Amino acid sequence: MAKKRGHSKLDEQIDDNLRRVYSSTVNEPLPDRFAKLLDELRERERGETGTSGEEDE
Amino acid sequence: MTEAPDPKKELIEHLPAMRAFAMSLTRNSAAADDLVQDAVVKAWSNFDKFEPGTNLRAWLFTILRNTYYSLYRKRRREVEDPDGTMAGKLSEKPAHDGHLAMNDFREAFAQLSDEQREVLILVGAEGFSYEDAAEMCGCAVGTIKSRTNRARKRLAELMHLEDELEMTDASTMAVINGKPAA
Repeated sequence: MAKKRGHSKLDEQIDDNLRRVYSSTVNEPLPDRFAKLLDELRERERGETGTSGEEDE
Repeated sequence: MTEAPDPKKELIEHLPAMRAFAMSLTRNSAAADDLVQDAVVKAWSNFDKFEPGTNLRAWLFTILRNTYYSLYRKRRREVEDPDGTMAGKLSEKPAHDGHLAMNDFREAFAQLSDEQREVLILVGAEGFSYEDAAEMCGCAVGTIKSRTNRARKRLAELMHLEDELEMTDASTMAVINGKPAA
């Protein structure tokens, strides 16, 4: 991660701020819809492998 | 019993980063979550094409960006900036501690092109190599390098960074290095 590519100090400052903004979103709690989505996907998959599934793809 | 990690189980660990990447592409939290959802569904039905042992995050990010460029970029023109992220004007110079005001930085970032925002997140924030970023974006390594440089330069211009840094460089860097963000 901490690769040096001959950055100027200015570049480093920009990257530092990029990471702050980016990580502020990364650190947000994950909305419930995604846990539900993964449940649905697993559920659908189980249906397919068990019985005959209706998949569109 | 092989212990190859199941990418379907690992997927959830990458969702926060996917949201952040989607947010920087769409600049709109509702659209970002829709984009992540679309990318997850697409990834799920293509996991048989994922090569175990390769970089899952890079694979997921590639799907996400391709989804963005094929679907969302067009759609976005119809929705005029509902979060108001682009609307603000740049006012302040960097705070004297060397950290830019977060909002000013967001606003400057939002004014970059899609390709510039993308490359800064991949290379600058996520720390992907130029080579990985090039593969993810489907372009040459040289293109990624020059795009990154131009994006950084543009961002510095928008933030009025250059002159400020020349004067306070040493003390600025000391503060940045000594003080973790928020």
